[in-house]
Amino acid sequence: MPLYLDVLGVECAYGAVKVIDGMTFSIGQGCFAGIIGPNGSGKSTLLRCISRTLKPVRGTVLLQGESLYKMSPREVARKMAVVPQETAVNFPFTVEEIIMMGRSPHLGRFQAEGKRDYEITSRSMDLTNTRHLAGRQITAISGGERQRVIIAKALAQEPELILLDEPTSHLDINQQVEILSLLQRLNREGGLTVLAVFHDLNLAAQFCDLMILMHGGKAYRVGKPDEVLTAENIEEVYGTRVLVKKHPVTGRPAVFLLTRGGLEASGKGRVHVICGGGAGVAVLGLLVERGFTVTTGVLNIGDIDWETAKHLGLEMTEEAPFSDISDRSYRENLEMIQRADACVLVSIPFGRGNLKNLEAVSLARAWGKPVLLVEEQAIEERDFTGGEAVRRYNQLKEQGAVVLQDGAAVPDVLAGLLQARI
Amino acid sequence: MNPQRRLWRWRLINAMLFGVLGLVVIVCATIGPAQISPLDVMVMLVRKLPLVGSVVPPGDWPETHETIVFQMRLARLVLAVLVGAGLASSGVVLQGLLQNPMADPYILGISSGAALGAIAAMLFGLGMHALGIYALPLTAFVGAVATAFVVYNLARVGGRTPVPTLILAGIAVGSFLSAVTSYFMITSGQNIHQVVFWLMGGLAGRGWDHVLVLLPYIVTGLAVMLLNARKLNAMLLGDEPAQHLGVDVERLKQVLLGAATLTAAASVAVSGVIGFVGLIIPHAVRLVVGPDHRVLLPAATLSGAIFLTAADTLARVAAAPAEIPVGVITALCGGPFFIYLLRKKKEPGF
Repeated sequence: MPLYLDVLGVECAYGAVKVIDGMTFSIGQGCFAGIIGPNGSGKSTLLRCISRTLKPVRGTVLLQGESLYKMSPREVARKMAVVPQETAVNFPFTVEEIIMMGRSPHLGRFQAEGKRDYEITSRSMDLTNTRHLAGRQITAISGGERQRVIIAKALAQEPELILLDEPTSHLDINQQVEILSLLQRLNREGGLTVLAVFHDLNLAAQFCDLMILMHGGKAYRVGKPDEVLTAENIEEVYGTRVLVKKHPVTGRPAVFLLTRGGLEASGKGRVHVICGGGAGVAVLGLLVERGFTVTTGVLNIGDIDWETAKHLGLEMTEEAPFSDISDRSYRENLEMIQRADACVLVSIPFGRGNLKNLEAVSLARAWGKPVLLVEEQAIEERDFTGGEAVRRYNQLKEQGAVVLQDGAAVPDVLAGLLQARI
Repeated sequence: MNPQRRLWRWRLINAMLFGVLGLVVIVCATIGPAQISPLDVMVMLVRKLPLVGSVVPPGDWPETHETIVFQMRLARLVLAVLVGAGLASSGVVLQGLLQNPMADPYILGISSGAALGAIAAMLFGLGMHALGIYALPLTAFVGAVATAFVVYNLARVGGRTPVPTLILAGIAVGSFLSAVTSYFMITSGQNIHQVVFWLMGGLAGRGWDHVLVLLPYIVTGLAVMLLNARKLNAMLLGDEPAQHLGVDVERLKQVLLGAATLTAAASVAVSGVIGFVGLIIPHAVRLVVGPDHRVLLPAATLSGAIFLTAADTLARVAAAPAEIPVGVITALCGGPFFIYLLRKKKEPGF
C-alpha cells in the first residue's frame, strides 16, 4: 500500500560516482519529515532525485502511487514545490512577480494570471511576512528576505508536498525558527507534507515527525526523532561524541556536543571535584577538557552533575537519589580524595544531607592536598544548616584553601599549584 | 501591481512602440536624395491597402516617386524592421534562456558560422552559378545553423545542456571558425573588401526578394518565442527552479534555441553581421519595461525594429552617396550605451 511519497530502492550517480546507494522509505500525507546526515552523505542528491531533477539509475519514486518520472513536469509542479538552499536571480523582477511565478504550473499557455492567482500570491506574502517587500527588486533584498520570497513562491504553487534543501542554513536563528514554525503551521493546519534537508540536528528534532538519517548514500535509520537521534547513531554516522537528552520544554531529543577534543587524560594530575545539583557541570567539563584525571563525589544518582559525570565517563562516588550521604559512600569518597593530587569544592549549597562533603574537604586539606574553593556565591547564602556549614567553610579558608570567584579559573590555578608541587 | 492593470500597461507599451515604428518607417521613407513628403508616402501606402485603397485618390506625385518608395526605400525599410526584430528577439530569448546578460544572438557561434558560409560564396563562388544572389544568404544561413547545431550537441552531456558548457562551446567553436575565416581572407589573394563590408553588416542593395526569404523565419521564430514567454520567465530563476515550476527545461531549451537560431541566422544571412542590436536592445528595454518576457519580448522586438530602421537610414544618408555599413552605426551607438549600462549598475549581472 503506497503512502504519499515512496522512495523505492533509489540509486543515483553522478557519472561513475554513486551517491545514493539504494534508499527506500515512505512518507505519509501530512508528515513533516527531515533528512539529516553528514556532508557528502547524499542528502541534497536525494532531494534532487525526489524533485525530479536527477533521474535515478535504479529504483523509482512514487508520488501518490504514480511514478514521478512518468508524470509531466507540470503535473509534478502542481503537487510539489521545491525550495533550494539558495536562489540567485540575476534579473530585476519584483518580489511580487517572483511569487506570482509560483502560479505558472496552474496556468494555461495563453492564460494570464487572474484575480484568484493574485489573491493566492497575496496570501503567500502574508504567510511569509513578505508583503512589505512586494515592490522591491529581488536583486536588492537580503539573503534572508530572498529565502522567504522563494518560500512564498513555493506556497503560491499551492503544493501538497514541499521539498526544502537546508532552507534556513543562511538565516539568523530567529528567521530559522520563524520559517520552520510557518511550515509547521501549514503542515498541521493545512495538511502540507514537508520533506526538508536539515544541517542542524536540533532544529530537525524540534520540527520533524519523521527523520531519515543518511550515511554513505543509504538510509542509516528512519523513524521518530527519538529513535533516530541517539548518541550511538550520531557517533556512528558523524564520528562525533554527543550527549542526547530530552529537550526540557518540548520533550524532543536535543543534541549536545561533547568537546573532548582528543584530550584523553594526559597526565596533568588527578583532581577530585566535590559538587552536586548541577553546580559542577562547568568545572567538570573544563577539567576534563584540559586533560586532568577527574574523580567526583558524592553525587546523588540522577542529578545533573551525576549525569554530566556519567557522560564524561568519570569515576565517582554515588549515592541513592535524594538521600543523605551514607557512611559507606563517605568512605569511598575519602578514598578517592586520598588518591587525588588536589581537591576542588564548587559553589554548592549545604544542608544536613551533604555536610559530610565539607568534612571530606577538610580532611583533604589536613592531608596536605591543595584545596580550591569556588565561591561564586557567598557561603552564608548557601548554608542551610544553621551556621554549621559557614563555620566549617571558614575553617577551611584558615587552613589555607585557595578561594576562586570564578569556576572558569579552576584549571589554570590548579595547573599552577600542581606544577609548583613538582 | 494588480494583474489586470499590468496587462493594460503592457498593451499600452506595445501599442505605443508599434505606433512609433510606423512613424519611423514613414519618416525614413521620405529621407533620401529624392524629396518626397511624409503625406505623399502615407497616401501611397494607404492606396496599397485592400478595400480602403481604391477609395483614396492618387496624389500628384511623379510616377518615379512611387517606384522609389516601394521598390527601393520601403523594401529596405521592411528588411531593416525584420532584421532588427529578429536580432532583438533572439537576443532577448538567448539572454533569458542562458541566464546570461552577455548573451546575444551570436553567442552560439552563429556569426562566425555565417561568415564562413558567406566567404564560401564570396571568395570561392560556392553555389553562385545555380543560385545567383541567393547563394550568399543560403551559404551564410547554412553555416550559421550548422554551427549552432554543432555547439548545442557539443554542450550536451548526459541528456542535459548546462548553460556554462553551452556558452563555452559557443565561444570555442566561434573562435575556431573565425580563425578559419581570417585564414581564408588573408590567403585568398582576392579583393577582400566585399567580405569585410559584409562582416560589418549592412542592408545596401537588398530588396523585396530578401524580405520574402526572411519573413517566414522571423514570423515563425517570433511566434514560437512569444508562445513560450512565460516559461522563459521561469528560466531566469535557473534550470532547476524552472523545472520545479513545471517547465520541461530541456525541451524548452531545444525549442527556443531552435527558434532563436533560425531567426538570428536568417537575419544574418540577409544582412551580414550587425552587432550590438541583439545585445543592447534587450538590455535597454528591460531597464524600462522590466524583465517579464511577456512584455519584454514584444517590446524589445519592436524596439529592435525601430532602432535598426533608424540606424540603417542613417547609414544610407550620413555619408551619401557612399554607404556606411549599418553595423558601424549600431556599434557606434551601442558601445557607449553599453558602457553607460555597466557604469550605472556596478553589481555583476544586470
